[in-house]
Amino acid sequence: MMLLLLAATPLVGAVLVAAFGSGAAPHVRPKAISLAFSVVALAIALVALGRYDIGQGGYQLTTEREWISVFGAHLAFGVNGIGITMVLLTAILTPLVLVAASGERLAQPERMSTYLALILSVEGLALAAFSATDAFMFYVLFEATLIPLYFLIGSFGGPNRSYAAVKFLVYNLVGGLLMLAAIVGLYVVSARAGTPSYLLSDLQQLDISTTTERILFCGFMAAFAIKAPLWPFHTWLPDAAAQATPSTSVMMVSVLDKLGTFGMLVWCLGIFPDAADWAAPVIIVLAVVSIIYGALAAIGQDDLRRLVAFTSVSHFGFIILGIFAFTTTSMSGATLYMFNHGLSTAALFLVTGMMIARRGSAAIGDFGGVQKIAPIMSGFLLVAGLSSLSLPGLAPFISEFMVLAGTYTRSIPAAVIATLGIVLAAMYILIMYQRTMTGPLSDDARGVTDLVVHEKVALAPMVVLIVGLGFFPQPLLNVINPAIDSVASHVGVGDPEPRTPTQIVVPAPQEGGH
Amino acid sequence: MLPFADLPPIAAPELEYALLAPLFIVSAGAVLGVVIEAAWPRSTRFTAQIVLTVVTVVAALADTIWVYTDLDVVDGDRVARGQVGGEGALSIDGPGVFTWGMLLVFGLLSALLYAERRLDGGLSSFTGRAADAPGSAAEAEATKARLEHSEVFPLLLFALVGMMLFATSNDLLTMFVALEVLSLPLYLMCGIARRRRLLSQEAALKYFLLGAFSSVFFLYGAALAYGYSGSFRLSDIAAAVGARSGSENLLLAAMAMLAVGLLFKIGAVPFHSWTPDVYQGAPTPVSAFMAAGTKTAAFIALVRVFYVGFGGSSWDWRPIFWIIAIVTMFVGSIVAVSQTDAKRMLAYSSIAHAGFILVGFVGAYEGPAGADRITSVSSVLIYLTIYGISSIGAFAVVMLVRDSSGEATHLAKWAGLGRVSPWLAGTFALFMLSFAGIPLTAGFIGKWAVFSSAWAGGFWPLVVVGVLMSAIAAYFYVRVIVLMFFTDPVGDGPSVVVSGRLTTVVIAVSAIATVVLGIVPGPLVDLAQHAGALVR
Amino acid sequence: MFDLQWLLIAVPLASGLGLLAWGKEADRFGHLIATAASTFSFVFGVVLFANLLGSDAGDRSHTANLFTWIDAGRFHVDMSFTFDQLSGLFVLLITGVGTLIHVYSIGYMEHDERRRRFFSFLNIFVAAMLTLVLASDYLVLFLGWEGVGLASYLLIGFWQHKDSAAAAAKKAFVVNRVGDVGMALAIMTMFAQFGTSSIAAVNGAITSASGSVATALGLLLLLGACGKSAQVPLQSWLLDAMEGPTPVSALIHAATMVTAGVYLVVRSAGVYDASEAARTAVIVVGLVTLLAGAWIGCTKDDIKKALAGSTMSQIGYMMLAAGLGPAGYAFAIFHLITHGFFKANMFLGAGSVMHGTNDDVNMRHYGALRTAMPITFATFGLGYLAIIGFPGTAGFFSKDKIIEAAFGHSFWVGLGTLIGAGVTAFYMTRLMMMTFFGQKRWLDDVHPHESPRVMTYPLIALGALSVLGGALIFGDWIPDWLAPVVGHAEHNAVSIGSWEVPVWAMTLIITAVAACGVAAGVLLYRSNVAAETPADSSVSVFTRAGRHELYGNAINDAVAVRPTMHLTRFLVWLDAKGVDGLVTGMADRLGDTSQFLRKPQTGHVRSYAATLFGGALVVVLALLAVTLA
Repeated sequence: MMLLLLAATPLVGAVLVAAFGSGAAPHVRPKAISLAFSVVALAIALVALGRYDIGQGGYQLTTEREWISVFGAHLAFGVNGIGITMVLLTAILTPLVLVAASGERLAQPERMSTYLALILSVEGLALAAFSATDAFMFYVLFEATLIPLYFLIGSFGGPNRSYAAVKFLVYNLVGGLLMLAAIVGLYVVSARAGTPSYLLSDLQQLDISTTTERILFCGFMAAFAIKAPLWPFHTWLPDAAAQATPSTSVMMVSVLDKLGTFGMLVWCLGIFPDAADWAAPVIIVLAVVSIIYGALAAIGQDDLRRLVAFTSVSHFGFIILGIFAFTTTSMSGATLYMFNHGLSTAALFLVTGMMIARRGSAAIGDFGGVQKIAPIMSGFLLVAGLSSLSLPGLAPFISEFMVLAGTYTRSIPAAVIATLGIVLAAMYILIMYQRTMTGPLSDDARGVTDLVVHEKVALAPMVVLIVGLGFFPQPLLNVINPAIDSVASHVGVGDPEPRTPTQIVVPAPQEGGH
Repeated sequence: MLPFADLPPIAAPELEYALLAPLFIVSAGAVLGVVIEAAWPRSTRFTAQIVLTVVTVVAALADTIWVYTDLDVVDGDRVARGQVGGEGALSIDGPGVFTWGMLLVFGLLSALLYAERRLDGGLSSFTGRAADAPGSAAEAEATKARLEHSEVFPLLLFALVGMMLFATSNDLLTMFVALEVLSLPLYLMCGIARRRRLLSQEAALKYFLLGAFSSVFFLYGAALAYGYSGSFRLSDIAAAVGARSGSENLLLAAMAMLAVGLLFKIGAVPFHSWTPDVYQGAPTPVSAFMAAGTKTAAFIALVRVFYVGFGGSSWDWRPIFWIIAIVTMFVGSIVAVSQTDAKRMLAYSSIAHAGFILVGFVGAYEGPAGADRITSVSSVLIYLTIYGISSIGAFAVVMLVRDSSGEATHLAKWAGLGRVSPWLAGTFALFMLSFAGIPLTAGFIGKWAVFSSAWAGGFWPLVVVGVLMSAIAAYFYVRVIVLMFFTDPVGDGPSVVVSGRLTTVVIAVSAIATVVLGIVPGPLVDLAQHAGALVR
Repeated sequence: MFDLQWLLIAVPLASGLGLLAWGKEADRFGHLIATAASTFSFVFGVVLFANLLGSDAGDRSHTANLFTWIDAGRFHVDMSFTFDQLSGLFVLLITGVGTLIHVYSIGYMEHDERRRRFFSFLNIFVAAMLTLVLASDYLVLFLGWEGVGLASYLLIGFWQHKDSAAAAAKKAFVVNRVGDVGMALAIMTMFAQFGTSSIAAVNGAITSASGSVATALGLLLLLGACGKSAQVPLQSWLLDAMEGPTPVSALIHAATMVTAGVYLVVRSAGVYDASEAARTAVIVVGLVTLLAGAWIGCTKDDIKKALAGSTMSQIGYMMLAAGLGPAGYAFAIFHLITHGFFKANMFLGAGSVMHGTNDDVNMRHYGALRTAMPITFATFGLGYLAIIGFPGTAGFFSKDKIIEAAFGHSFWVGLGTLIGAGVTAFYMTRLMMMTFFGQKRWLDDVHPHESPRVMTYPLIALGALSVLGGALIFGDWIPDWLAPVVGHAEHNAVSIGSWEVPVWAMTLIITAVAACGVAAGVLLYRSNVAAETPADSSVSVFTRAGRHELYGNAINDAVAVRPTMHLTRFLVWLDAKGVDGLVTGMADRLGDTSQFLRKPQTGHVRSYAATLFGGALVVVLALLAVTLA
């Protein structure tokens, strides 16, 4: 019930904001209302986290009722360690995004309330999707999230926004519709086995013939690979990110794209373990290509937003690599990576967005020496950047290293090539930082001012979390590990044993942390 | 002594009046309408016709519901309701009566659109005096005199009767009669638009000629079927097919001809070419009625003929429909991409949807004995209901977007509609998304239903093709949204007549239905399931 | 008490971050807080070290486990620190020299409006460096490793408004990242091989693993070490790093951070002991670097770059020593410490000189400064004597030991180190002569003057240490002290080729070679030094190569940078035209198809009827086909 409430809160907020905003000219109220609702959602999420019994693990806070009986579809909510992590990420990011968003200068300021309402609705749908335990319901929400985002990009983006919006929607629809085919097939399979049901728990019991399983897996994977995005299905992302507003980009990349990797981990591995194992080699190759390709392409970008988008392509490569390496370490790392990447990319998108808003241009070449006149902004950019190149001591390092270390035990070549990514990461961040922030102050950039209060308010918590989780990731890992263990055991590919184990006794992970 | 004394007495037909009542009610209403047309004073005639039509349809609808509720269950391994009646000419079964209900709802909504008189200077969408030459002085004077063709309402009812009959006729001859009954009024109504009359008349003529052409195919097919089985009765034909008596080729030819006749009405490729011209030319309310009604009736007829009549040789006809389904989806979606006229775009979308429904039809899946599964029949029913409502809504929106020369159907004029009137544009966007099959809209449920029955029938590759096609379709639906919301208005932009109350009601109803059926489709789905299998 | 060793790190870290967060208000006293923090660490370090001295030999390694850093699946890493004989020495070196340099910087950075930030970065560096040496797990070590990298990045680029500084900072970080790949892969290998990355566990279990594992680990760690310690082939960043303020060059790029590579190798003694191949690789790297660095040092006119070249060279000595295995580990550390003293001393001296000459770094504008700044001259002189190995100074002992050990290993390696000693003596003499002797070549507006006390006192302290540091070897104290950590090897007599040479003779040879170097330097640079740097065309190939740092950058550009940049540009193009082009192309095709398919829609009934009829025919034929098939 709690999760239902959690998902409903922002949606209600969205309706209210849309209603209020349409009339009132001063946008104070819409901003306040939307922020209030997202904060309430965060509070509920934290309570949910408190209620979640880490020791017990598994799916908790579950509610379930029939939705469309003939389809075997249910309204089923529930989260395991992975789900609650993603829920937490969404709930934490949205208020910060709203704070940042309310400061953005829109082309038509009178539509601010619509803007905020759409952001809230994205949050609501995402929260529901992350806590869905029924495949049909998950699919419906997975697809439904496209619409508010489509309008966010299309009506509030840059000059080329409608192209980007259509591209975004069509790309994701193609994937989504292939998944629909698989969903339909799943119904037929489960109907043949008895009464049709889309509940994850029931689907996991199904024994599906090898061929069918592989076909269905491909259907699901298509949607998730486009969403995530995995090379070569990534090209919608840079265009979308380059046209969307910073807040939209955050909701898109930090929250919604996680549905892709989340789907792979929970749904693909959950329902089609054997097919996943069958497909793993190919996907690992694609993931490694994404890592290197995304990083190299990022180095070559002249547009800040496209650069950040490509860094995400690279990072998603790491996440997917970790998932399909099928070691508990790499999969826990991948899950943690989803959370950390959400934070660091959000920070990066917001800071670059603030830079662009001030300079009136997204071209890296139009900046230069800004550090001198906007030290705080450049400081935030540097921290966000360093987290993106996963500097030890910042959160993403932990997850990235876990992914690599786990992968190494499964496939040394994959790990080695992926590790080269850390050099490229240093290049794309530091070159960008050098060209924008350091060197002599370029005359065109003189107008740039430093951050104002609400911008600091939006960014500071992210930075605090990034640093904090860099040193104390364990509380989060304690939530994630049990879920990953069950996924791993379900896939049935055990961790490779160390070749010469040492006598060092590894103490059991201490419980709690919350 | 009297002549003819030795002739055998002609037995009066045994009719199940209770069951057939809805048909009678609508026919009676239609006849009464003709009488009113002759007798009622002109001043209030239009109003009278409206009242009569609405009352008739509502009454028929109520009766239909009552009829449905006490259809008796046919024992068999699969759920089926109703019985063969009218001396075996009709089968009043679950799906049939369900279709009646659907058609009556569509009829009601269309009637409201027919009745809309606030959009065009207090006059309906129909020409004042069809006899006048377009652009002639006489026409102008007719307009000045505020003449109106209120015959359209009886015509609507006649067409409705034809459709209802078409959907439930159990032998080919009845079916042919029904086909003509529904077609002739439509031919007529297509030709009497108030604006762009030449286009309208051309459309009517095309529709008539091609329609006649296709009915001939149907009739020929019926004859061949008779030649093969010695009966027009679908059940007899089924028996003959089962026994494989008679010449194979005769059977094949019969199936082909009947298919052509029916696919024409459905608007499937390659028998679709009339659709864009007619939908564009016809008065928009008529287009709406055709899009929803004709397609529905024809599809149920198709289902009947091929499931009941030729079910035995389904392995012969399935591959053909497979291909036709793919081609229809493909052509419909692709060509729609390059349309610049709202009504033509909707026409092609209706073609594409015919393709999607055919996917469900090809599955020919009856579900396992005794279990409650989405069958092909129920999936087709679900899809038709949802599609019909959404498309009537979409056409209604088209009626409201106008400029000085009447409806501004050219899509370029729709640019920036989202700014001018967000609500109208929003609802149209909603219909587009529903057509595209986006979750949380009704269209998604329809897509899911037909695809699942097709997969269950063993046609998963067809499903994959289907989803790819719907991606293409989605592309052009989305383009309309881009036009309305993300593009700045050209010039002073489109003007929207908000005063059209009836139209607004229709739009509201269909919009609400589209959303509700998307979120809680359970009742509709259950009802379609409850209708059960066809009775032979 | 040793459980509190984390305070060594926490205090400077807290003060560093605190100063950043505090903001402008802290500008007035920020440097004092920072210096206090660093001093605290030094004092506490001394206390701990004294404890270590006090306790008996068996009980000199104290590990404090703070908390579980990461635990997932088989992956378990504790945030734990070990204070033992080796890390103890480093703590003293880092905090001791670090504190002196804090003090020095108070004066040196006085007029910089971002002084507070400078000091907070210094603190962060000290914290990270201590993490590096105290870590008892390779991953924690890696944390410190990257931390010092970050500090180095921030401090090299401290004067960000200079393009050269910003570029140098980025270069340093990126080149180090290449080394980090080695580190990271090494840790992954440990994890896959032993299921842990604890330093003790890995070095303990290495013998039970196959030799190839040891070699792989050794080489990967060496790659990391090369990056951090500016060893060939990852040397190119160090000379650019001189863009940073001079105290930074002294602390980070002379005394401590750059020697981390040596520390890593010595700390991983177990691994290197298990692999002959890895040790040889270390020796080769060290030898090549020590000669290359010396070469560069001979040719630079920029005093800091000359010293940087020397640093490379000296670290080459340490590397080489470390590569000799148990025979050399202790001496590597010994030289590392003495070098820390005298090189920091000389860098600060150079800083003092620049301070007196409007931050001019070109030695050709110096000359005869000994009178102008006597204290600087005196302290610098002590450092000079130490590095050329003047008998009795710290360098004399530490370098001799390495050269002897090198000869003990192989004649050619020994010969290399011997030549290195000669060259060192030469280029340091050159530097001395050009700076403090000869005739005045000062620019017009330059009026050299001695630096304030706050700068000279640290110089004096370091000068003293440069001389006295050698005492650590008396009675073989260092080797015995470190023996528990790195093992011990006996060697009193040295053999050149076949015939034995007594140690005293060896010392004599080395000193003689150094003397030759000095003599050459004096003769060449006693007088008539051109006041402007001669053009490349007018100097020998040898000099030109040296000035261009043996074309290291050119090679990097040709081998790595330019190809990468081409590749990126290609990929950007490919992404737009190829990957994306495919999709957009498909969309265009759809459009064309659409246009094509609407052609039959002529509006003529006859053509419609024709299609209808044709369709009917097709259906019939198809049906027949299906049934016949």
